[in-house]
Amino acid sequence: MIQSLLNGVIQGLLLAVVGVAFSLVYSTTRVFHIALGAIYAVAPYVLLAALHAGMPWFVGVGLAILACIALGLGAEGLVHWPLERKRAPPEIHFISSLGAFLVVGQLVVLVWGNDAQVLRTGVDTVYDVAGLRATTGQLMVVVVAAAALASTFAWLRWTEVGLQFRAMASNPSLLATLGRNVRRLRWAVFGLSGALAAISALAAARDVGFDPNAGMHTVLIGVAATIVGGRGSFTGAAVAGLLLGVLRAQVVWHFSARWEDATTFVLLAIFLVFAPGGLQSLTARRTIRVEDAA
Amino acid sequence: MSYFLHLLILLEIYLVVAASLNLLVGHAGLLQVAHAAYFGLGAYTSSLLMTELGVGFLPAVAGAGVAGGALSLLVSLPAWRFRGDAFVMMSLAVQVALFAIFYNWVDLTGGPFGLSGIPKPVTWGIELDTSGSMSAAYGVMVALCIGMLFLLTRSPFGRSLQAVRDDELAARSLGIPARRLKVEAFAVASALVGVAGAMYAAYASYIDPTSFSLDESILMLSMVVVGGTGNLRGPLVGALTLIAIPEVLRFAALPDAFAANLRLLAYGLLLLVLMRLRPQGLAGQYRYE
Repeated sequence: MIQSLLNGVIQGLLLAVVGVAFSLVYSTTRVFHIALGAIYAVAPYVLLAALHAGMPWFVGVGLAILACIALGLGAEGLVHWPLERKRAPPEIHFISSLGAFLVVGQLVVLVWGNDAQVLRTGVDTVYDVAGLRATTGQLMVVVVAAAALASTFAWLRWTEVGLQFRAMASNPSLLATLGRNVRRLRWAVFGLSGALAAISALAAARDVGFDPNAGMHTVLIGVAATIVGGRGSFTGAAVAGLLLGVLRAQVVWHFSARWEDATTFVLLAIFLVFAPGGLQSLTARRTIRVEDAA
Repeated sequence: MSYFLHLLILLEIYLVVAASLNLLVGHAGLLQVAHAAYFGLGAYTSSLLMTELGVGFLPAVAGAGVAGGALSLLVSLPAWRFRGDAFVMMSLAVQVALFAIFYNWVDLTGGPFGLSGIPKPVTWGIELDTSGSMSAAYGVMVALCIGMLFLLTRSPFGRSLQAVRDDELAARSLGIPARRLKVEAFAVASALVGVAGAMYAAYASYIDPTSFSLDESILMLSMVVVGGTGNLRGPLVGALTLIAIPEVLRFAALPDAFAANLRLLAYGLLLLVLMRLRPQGLAGQYRYE
């Protein structure tokens, strides 16, 4: 029981990072950044390629994160900013992002194949503390994800640019009117979200291996976390990601791993219908209706 | 010849898929990424009706339509306000939940092994066991479906639906019942794609969950968006493109193993280029504003 709670928290930390990565773009730019699924998929392949080329692991990790930042910037520069200048509606952004997802995702398959891969060889070391078990991979997940979340939130909380991000999430056009450079902020959110996706993907790949299709799946759970946490709230996305991880582990523990996705997305549907403002709206006085939030 | 007929039958099935999805995407302005799930619901419903209960082909097709329409009501009655991203996410939830049922309810659906031995269609005592007779019979069914959609989109119903799509609040202020229209359009589209699923199951005689995954839904949406939205030429071009791309790739003598990936890659590029330069699709009329 406590073991499954621990596993849930570990999985939840990764989902929290992905949730924040999606929410960063979605809350500030209203772009449904589904291409993040492909960016997530790229990261471990870059690391693997670097390792095969004989580079040390930290260089590979750096290259993987840089590649994902570049892809995030590419999505903004080549796809979403030109559309934004044409005042394209959200639907067009979504379909274009889907197009970018297909292009990058299928290129990954064409270059590196469709098979599942692993980053480590042999069985992971298992640590046993007071009856609770965790592998090296899981401990790395905890450290990396917690560090990524902590630094992201510290940055959002205490820096000038972070404040502008939060302002952009609450009212982008006002921010532009007040003379802030929204263009530069958009570059920053797309880059940062790519980096966070890469970090989460690498930690997950070290723990359980990876394949080209894992990205979409994980990012969709990140989408669920964004809605459950409440649109416009980065903290909400992180908290909801963590909760979803715990919930999924409980479903695995009490029922079966086969129903964890169904549970996650039924919860998403319940939130969309009954609490479209997410967790934060449950405590707020003003009810947020779906027209306002959309 | 039989290969040509095979392509013709696929084209007929995908024409219904594309035209029904277009009713949502082009006429109601709702992006649906769960169409393959409704397609699968129709396929499983008709297959189980035929194999387990011994129902005839046409009643099984009707059953598939009813199942699709009924599920859509479950979604659209509480979620009729949704548009834009909220609707996309709702349909995402439906897609994942239905796929989980197809994949995991092994006793009913056969799980990952799927259902086999689905009987060939028999109508009025004529067994449609050759590609020729089947493509002709399917041609009649498709003509009925498309004809219905054609009349529907030109009727006051279709015009009102487009008014709701263009400006929901204005339409409601003129007394157009937005909720009823959206729920009805969604039900018609889901019922038709359920029928298409039943046709697919009877033709393939074997179904498994991989044909009804999120990837397939994305492919169906791409097909409609690339072909064009808001009229009936668009879905026709979309379905033709969907059938043609693998054939073109085949003649280009590219390795078979990557054919599916190259097709998706081609769709990704088409979506990116079209959304920038021609958001209404190749032959479409409606562009999202």
